[in-house]
Amino acid sequence: MKSWLWIGLLCMGILLGLWTTLRVYTVGFSLYAKTDVLVWTLPLSTYVFFSLTSAGLAFVSSIPVVFGIKRYEAFEKRAVYLEIAVLIGSFVCLILHLGSPLKVLYIFLSPNPSSPLWWLAVLYHVYFVILLSAFWRIHTGKISKTLGVLIFLIAICTSTTLGWLMGMTDARPTLNASFFSVYFPLTGFGSGVAALLLFSMAYAHFSGREVTEDRSALYNEVGRLMGIITGMVLVVFLWRTISGGISSTAVEYRAFKHMIGSIPYNIELWLGLAVPTVLMLVPSIRAAVWGKVTASVLVLVGMFAGRLEFVLSGVVRPLGQMAEGRPEFVSYMPTIYEVFVALFGFSAMLLIYTLGERYLKLGAVPE
Amino acid sequence: MARYAMVIDLQRCVGCGGCSISCRNENNVSEGMYWSHKITETSGTFPNVRYHYMPTLCNHCTNAPCVRGCPTKAMHKLDNGITMHDPQKCIGCRYCMINCPYGVIYFNWKDAHPFWKEENSLIQGVTSSPAEEVSKVGSKGTPYYNPERNATLPAIRPKGVVEKCTFCDHRVKEGKLPRCVEACPADARIFGDLEDPGSEVRQLLGKFRPFRLKEALGTEPAVFYIRDFSSAGYPRTKGGV
Repeated sequence: MKSWLWIGLLCMGILLGLWTTLRVYTVGFSLYAKTDVLVWTLPLSTYVFFSLTSAGLAFVSSIPVVFGIKRYEAFEKRAVYLEIAVLIGSFVCLILHLGSPLKVLYIFLSPNPSSPLWWLAVLYHVYFVILLSAFWRIHTGKISKTLGVLIFLIAICTSTTLGWLMGMTDARPTLNASFFSVYFPLTGFGSGVAALLLFSMAYAHFSGREVTEDRSALYNEVGRLMGIITGMVLVVFLWRTISGGISSTAVEYRAFKHMIGSIPYNIELWLGLAVPTVLMLVPSIRAAVWGKVTASVLVLVGMFAGRLEFVLSGVVRPLGQMAEGRPEFVSYMPTIYEVFVALFGFSAMLLIYTLGERYLKLGAVPE
Repeated sequence: MARYAMVIDLQRCVGCGGCSISCRNENNVSEGMYWSHKITETSGTFPNVRYHYMPTLCNHCTNAPCVRGCPTKAMHKLDNGITMHDPQKCIGCRYCMINCPYGVIYFNWKDAHPFWKEENSLIQGVTSSPAEEVSKVGSKGTPYYNPERNATLPAIRPKGVVEKCTFCDHRVKEGKLPRCVEACPADARIFGDLEDPGSEVRQLLGKFRPFRLKEALGTEPAVFYIRDFSSAGYPRTKGGV
């Protein structure tokens, strides 16, 4: 009964998303809280969140295949399936961000290899096909090493290309800190590990099956891994704040300085990085189910807020003639339609995952 | 092959906005968009304060970041140096807007010219509604619709794609000057071929010390500014301590 209620709620989210899609393509993108200055907002940041989480899940799923740590095979099937679900969530948000999504055909008809966006589009197409093939192999009982390695390599390419995409914007150095090609894979890894831990523990709870001692130890190990990664991200995040937000004198960095006081920034720093790192440092909390669940939820919430903070830090300060008649920083509050786009992405992802959990035995360990 | 550029003489520019209005008419530019615009600045603090006015438009950069980043080559360079946009190929990702350091690219968030679609008249039975006005003159989109724009670009751009100044490529193709240049009452805008040693733009660039916007970014804009206007004078002085 509970599971049908859950599926019903997700279907409601999808219906709201479909209604939003219809409205956006009939009325226009003026339904979003966008101006000529705020050209990238919540739909895009949600896409970035999903996209990097998917890359992070790919890193986790590659641990047994690429690095030969066999005990992580227990997560393999769930991780690969979750990657597919998360990637579909990202596509939903991306489609509702693009002004003319039907024209994406021109990515192949009129390619521009100097554009990181072109590379991302191509990589995602390949990535999706490989993920489906890899899952099919796992579902039929075998892990394909070749496909596993390819997923690992493509995940590195997608997350670092996203760093190149932002890094190319010379006029907006707040999007352009030189370490984003490192920062993105690292933060993606953090959210990927958190997502896998959360979904695995949710399955263990809702399935009512007893968790074996080995599996429990593995969850604790993943919790420790998550703590290490969030700690590393925290250090890089603080350096980003120091170099771009405090010590830089360039006027372009004022946008980031402005964002330091914002709600998304503080959610990311305190809830998404500092608290989970501390929680996972304490052995007794790390060993407790509530500790791991709380920490992984906080990491995901923090990363979600962080993607929004990052995207907004690139656009809140108008450039050139766009600054005419506008304040130095424009404010942003998402409209209900933008919230529905994010909800659409989450609902689609969660529904696909729920159905997979129900019918595809994601807990099965492949050979 | 010609390489077109524009010189804007800030001493001649009176800030009338004629360039913006003529551009709007020529290119059927929708409300809220400015293919031709301005940056106004004040310097100093009251009572020692001055007002500066700088006309702006797409800089048709040689190293155009918008062109480099466009995934479908919708934003592209013509052989004559003009940065052109093909709405047919535009997926509406707005990466060009993020890449452009000058803020001169606009996105069609909704159908163009929404005002002229309104059915309500100011005084019922007396005045025409905007939509009636458009239909009475047998026009499309706006009463001042210019069909000539259609030669190289959809005369009115659809929603979901970006748009920007094209140096009036449809006019240049026919040997005419861009509309803003033609309309400028002070002849503050001078247009021509940088490759031609005898062109007015080449002569002006050799005569004055030009500057371009955000030159440090290396985008190599094709819009140059020369001179500055100031009617202010001051008594000769060495200052003091």
